Amino acid sequence: MNSSNRLPAPMGLLIDRDQPLDFSFDGKSYQGFKGDSIASALLANGRFLLSRSFKYHRPRGPLTMAGQDANSLVQLPREPNVLADAHPLEAGLEVQGQNFNGSLDNDRDAYLGKFSKFMPVGFYYRSFYKPKGMWKVWEPIIRKKAGLGVLDLTFQPEYYDKAYLFTDLAVIGAGPAGLQAALAAANCGAQVLLIEQQPVLGGALAYARFDIAGNRAENLRRELLDAVLGHANIRVLSNATCNAWFTDNYLPVIQGKRMYKVRARQCLVCSGSFDQPVIFRNNDLPGVMLCSAAQRLMKLYAVKPGQRAVVLTGNDDGYYTALDLHDQGVEVAALVDLRNSADPALSRALEQRKIPHLTGSTVYEALHEKGMRHVNGVEVRTISGQGQGQVSDSGLRLDCDLLCMSAGYMPVYQLLCQAGGKLAYDDQKAEFNLSGLPANLAVAGSANGRHGLDNVLADGANAGLDAARALGLDVGAERASYARETPVNFDWPIFPHPKGKDFVDFDEDLQVRDIINATKIGYRDVQLVKRYSTVGMGPSQGRHSALPTARLVAASTQRNISETGVTTARPPFVAEKLAHVAGRAFDPYRQTPMHRRHLEAGAKMMPAGIWQRPAFYGKAEDRERCMQEEARHVRTKVGLIDVSTLGGLDIRGPDAAELLNRMYTFAFLKQPVGRSRYALMTNEQGAVIDDGVCARFAEEHFYVTATTSGVDRIYQQMLKWNAQWRLDVDIANVTAALCAVNVAGPDSRKVLEKLCPDLDLSAEGFPYLAVRQGTVAGIKARLLRVGFVGELGYEIHVPARHGLALWDALVSAGQVHDIRPFGVETQRLLRLEKGHVIISQDTDGMTHPAEIDMGWAVSRTKPFFVGRRSLDILEAQPLKRKLVGFTLPKGSPQPLEGHLVLDGPDISGNVTSCEYSASLGRIIGLAYAGARQSEPGQQIPIRVEGAIVVMATVVKLPFFDPENLRQGL
Amino acid sequence: MKIINCPLNGPRNISEFTYGGEFKPMPDPGTCSDAEWADYVFNSENRAGVVREWWMHTPSSYWFLAERHTVSDEIIRTFDARELFSSRLDFHPPQSREIAG
Amino acid sequence: MPFNLLKYGLSAEYPVDVDLPPPRDLKPSYDVVIIGAGGHGLATAYYLSRYHGINNIAVLEKAYLGGGNTARNTAVIRSNYLTSEGVRFYAESVKLFQNLSNEFDFNIMYSERGQLTLAHTDATVRSFRQRAEVNKHFGGRTEMIDRQQIRELVPSLNLDPGHLPVIAGLWHIDGATARHDAVAWGYAKQAAKRGVEIHQLTEVQDLVIESGRIRAVKTNRGTVQCGCVVQAIAGHSSLLMAKAGIRSPIQTFPLQAMVTQPFKPFLDPLVSSSALHCYVQQTSRGEVVFGGGSDPYPLFNSRSTLDLKESLLAHAIEMFPFLANAKLMRQWAGITDMTPDYSPIMGLSPVENYYLDAGWGTWGFKATPICGKTMAELVASGGRVPELIKPFGLERFSTFQQVNEMGATAASH
Repeated sequence: MNSSNRLPAPMGLLIDRDQPLDFSFDGKSYQGFKGDSIASALLANGRFLLSRSFKYHRPRGPLTMAGQDANSLVQLPREPNVLADAHPLEAGLEVQGQNFNGSLDNDRDAYLGKFSKFMPVGFYYRSFYKPKGMWKVWEPIIRKKAGLGVLDLTFQPEYYDKAYLFTDLAVIGAGPAGLQAALAAANCGAQVLLIEQQPVLGGALAYARFDIAGNRAENLRRELLDAVLGHANIRVLSNATCNAWFTDNYLPVIQGKRMYKVRARQCLVCSGSFDQPVIFRNNDLPGVMLCSAAQRLMKLYAVKPGQRAVVLTGNDDGYYTALDLHDQGVEVAALVDLRNSADPALSRALEQRKIPHLTGSTVYEALHEKGMRHVNGVEVRTISGQGQGQVSDSGLRLDCDLLCMSAGYMPVYQLLCQAGGKLAYDDQKAEFNLSGLPANLAVAGSANGRHGLDNVLADGANAGLDAARALGLDVGAERASYARETPVNFDWPIFPHPKGKDFVDFDEDLQVRDIINATKIGYRDVQLVKRYSTVGMGPSQGRHSALPTARLVAASTQRNISETGVTTARPPFVAEKLAHVAGRAFDPYRQTPMHRRHLEAGAKMMPAGIWQRPAFYGKAEDRERCMQEEARHVRTKVGLIDVSTLGGLDIRGPDAAELLNRMYTFAFLKQPVGRSRYALMTNEQGAVIDDGVCARFAEEHFYVTATTSGVDRIYQQMLKWNAQWRLDVDIANVTAALCAVNVAGPDSRKVLEKLCPDLDLSAEGFPYLAVRQGTVAGIKARLLRVGFVGELGYEIHVPARHGLALWDALVSAGQVHDIRPFGVETQRLLRLEKGHVIISQDTDGMTHPAEIDMGWAVSRTKPFFVGRRSLDILEAQPLKRKLVGFTLPKGSPQPLEGHLVLDGPDISGNVTSCEYSASLGRIIGLAYAGARQSEPGQQIPIRVEGAIVVMATVVKLPFFDPENLRQGL
Repeated sequence: MKIINCPLNGPRNISEFTYGGEFKPMPDPGTCSDAEWADYVFNSENRAGVVREWWMHTPSSYWFLAERHTVSDEIIRTFDARELFSSRLDFHPPQSREIAG
Repeated sequence: MPFNLLKYGLSAEYPVDVDLPPPRDLKPSYDVVIIGAGGHGLATAYYLSRYHGINNIAVLEKAYLGGGNTARNTAVIRSNYLTSEGVRFYAESVKLFQNLSNEFDFNIMYSERGQLTLAHTDATVRSFRQRAEVNKHFGGRTEMIDRQQIRELVPSLNLDPGHLPVIAGLWHIDGATARHDAVAWGYAKQAAKRGVEIHQLTEVQDLVIESGRIRAVKTNRGTVQCGCVVQAIAGHSSLLMAKAGIRSPIQTFPLQAMVTQPFKPFLDPLVSSSALHCYVQQTSRGEVVFGGGSDPYPLFNSRSTLDLKESLLAHAIEMFPFLANAKLMRQWAGITDMTPDYSPIMGLSPVENYYLDAGWGTWGFKATPICGKTMAELVASGGRVPELIKPFGLERFSTFQQVNEMGATAASH
């Protein structure tokens, strides 16, 4: 519990020293403060080694202290791959390391680092597969070694939600540019949403240093915050990450357990830039970190990052870091400047503090003791200027326990490139810059290539005004001007070492040679380098590897860096929990108004599209018995079935019949009022897609039923066609407005007679296929006599709010006739006994009417219907297959739906419906068979379970009541 | 998420819309050849450029047309079908042989 | 033992074993020009050079090798389709895949994990049973399995998502995954070794067709005469076909996918649910890959969207609730050439000597080897269409002879 690494106030902007928190790491107890991240608390306790690297299991500690690298991924009890430098410390938190064998400090897999020579880039492509089958042996081993954390498979999703936000201007990033921009726009009257990833606003103003005196940053931060936090037009979201840019400025912003979906009329990205590492041998040791990381440790968390530091820099910011370290009591052993000369004022500042100053030099190797657990010195060499990365033959050894480096900056380009922005490399400045942004999206600040603080502020202000102007607001203020910039990027901060371990990508353990060798093998395009070497494919997604990779690949393939480029930026910006993206689970389903009655009657419910329907009334294991009994009951007495889910369309107007004529295959112009016709629909390809019954209630009023799952699509298609035909017709989808019950069986008339005082239900008064409007149990109803199950029956359609009452009335009236409900599965059996086709069960996406003997439903005399011409073409071709009825003797192995019909060695068809029928005492079914196998009397081989082939007999349809007398009673 | 400017409902999220296919003028089914008909049924322009296509605003079941660039995804304009279909469309009796149904 | 790797450790200098030769100028003519250096184009070049003695071939690629859908697919290899034509074809491909690493001496990390497709409705069970039967008919290993068996195969799967409980599964033991990029590289390396020229950053801008024959192609690096052309460019197929005056039923839609950070292994089979429009698998690197249905409207653009990600991941969490705590690392998309019947377009075109390998939609990667093999046979025979791909001719649409695989695709590529 050694906390001697803590610095006194005013250091520690984020921590609250009055709230100590106890936690553990790999079983050892530590203490930190509220406001610490896991990493800062551990470093405060002197614990730098936080993880082991992916491939070589090298010891790693924080690189950025900003959640931008993967060197400090730890495991929490319920969650792997947690960024220790971004995750806030909590009381009692139990943190574990990841990806080691034994312990973090003594990882038995560290030997892999010694064999790195045997594992060159892409080595797994060149081995592990000989002799044939060897990969099966190696793969499980390699899979176990791969991966980082362990997922808790018992984790249950917690509450996460989403909210919408709308704003005039979204400013992403509340550093100096973002704060200034927000103020400028808000002062013109824009509603501004300011989004900041960190818990505090200010960006680099919170931790960096911009002047030798060292107070400009904090003063400016205070001043800007005072203006922003009180501003009526600015809403601030902090601890909030804008994780992507989607079309039309649609921005997912993750804060806590919520994802805001922000729609912004104008969007301004002030995301800053990523401090870049220098590449040299052992640049990945714990204790080697970016300059900004050291500053964050000191200013934000009051952690002294080391006792004796070396600062390696390619820009002036390294000097400010050295001054910060010195101010906090860290001995600065040297400032090593990659550049040949330095700013005189800064040189003097170093001199005054007795900080040794080396120019034109680099760290060539970071040194360590056995075990590599922490840096303990550096070897500094002069840059020889004889080529890229060449150094003198020998150097100077300096002891240190902290190495801070900054080679320059890479704009935080991800959101902008997701939006279509293009990166181009400026060879003069040695930096990437952005262009080609879509309308309503802009960039300002260091992401826009401005580095001097005053230029950053000016850029923010100008961008804010531009946004206000684009919003149509009055902009009075003048544009701010820019001063000359000092370059910040050293053009070649890469110093390859013959012994390697000069890491370009820390996540993937890729060294300079790996990138070069990938190009030598022939993977010259930077995208191919990425895919072959996996550079940039790890958790930090290229934040620090993209720039050196572009430089190395360009050099190795003799192209310029702009041409070479970086790999595509893709969402999300920061790895995001699936819970955030998924939000709350919504699982809508539909029930009919009679739902309760089905449950009370013991129904086994089943999904039918998004609806729930009763399959049969009984326990799941009693399916067969229930079905047969329910079917017998319908055939001998009376049953009722809830068919409310059936689609219903009301077609009204002078052109109602004409519309139907064009949508369906049958003829409707002369359909008599009070009669129904079969409505078969084909698509433009001539394939059967739906069917139903079309009832004519008046000259200009038709009511058409459709399949449960097809009706919405049919309704939409009718509207689409009529947008072109412009017939005088109204089409209404009344599926949900109406309910329907089918009462079927020899006694169905007797039941209905009790409830219909105003209807003549006699065979003459209401014949088969007729339709009537009347009152049933006091409810206004439409009645259709249909023959789907092949019994005397009435389909009664009433307004949905009366569905329950209708059901109850029928059950009550039917009691004396022993009325029983029957379900969908039973109905399927009954209709199968009549040989009726169910669309999309007995038809597939290609079935045309001739294949299912429905030529009778296709009118040849009307001018047009959808699919007509295609049917002409199809029918001119010889029929390849037909849907036939078949039977098998009782006790024979029963084909299941999906089993194949064979013709010699070939497959000629498949079984689409098959059940045992107690009424007939046989197995019956429908199947596609080859055209030459489809005559009644022929035998068709069907291959059933266990590869047994049974010979079924093709029969004429229907199976039951071949004269169709029963439904016509 | 993309915004479409619906001629009837104004700018709405694209999740409120259903794509309805390329706008394909139908040849006269009574007089065209089999090849022309098959081309109409199956083939698409599938151009990389501005195309004309059908869209429906799902909650209001309103069909309209859009002109959209299929590479940049920019919607140039949306308009009511009346612009192209202003009067009732009739079909003539088929020239091909009639089979008694 | 990976003896192959010793040379890397024991040599002082890195022993470069070149996979792809450096760029060179285009020759004025080639016997065969293959447009598109994706898996299919490179495989075709390989089989031509290795088995037909034809190597005066240029493969022309407008961007970088294998950078189209070959780089972007979710690497599902299977043959559990519905039609006889389809199953017969894909089963051949699976067989070739099983030996591919050894065939072309490059480890594609072929991993036979088995593919499990979940049925939540009776209708799906019917269709699955038919697929299992057709698959078995052609020698594949596919079975219908019940809830209990599913539980044993994938203990971490939630069998009761919302109101659509899993009732059965289609268990395709042959289902596998592989490193998709390596498939392209392996074919490229061997083809290049045999003299095939692969030209990247070379865009075909126009076609020179005279008297119904293709004579030459015009590229941004010059015009090249050709004995014949194979077009294998996936999403942009119809654009080049249009230049040849060829009408097609192709519509181009983006297909999105996404991947999490890597975890230690917890999932072996590739798991798919068509009701939930979602499939999930864990790569050898440990990342979890998600894929679903195509984007709803045509677009030649591989942008990602939030809407699709939201619904896809919501469904993924229904299947594996603990994934709520996993973190998504990256989204991407491919550009796919869809056909009305979800079967490919292979073979002849109205232009003599202009061969088509198109309409691969979301089902192309798994067919890479058999496609290369059959297209090579087509080219080498001077235009005789191999039996195996006859059903996939472009002309099937004009005669209404579609090969309908829609049910066997959707959210299960």
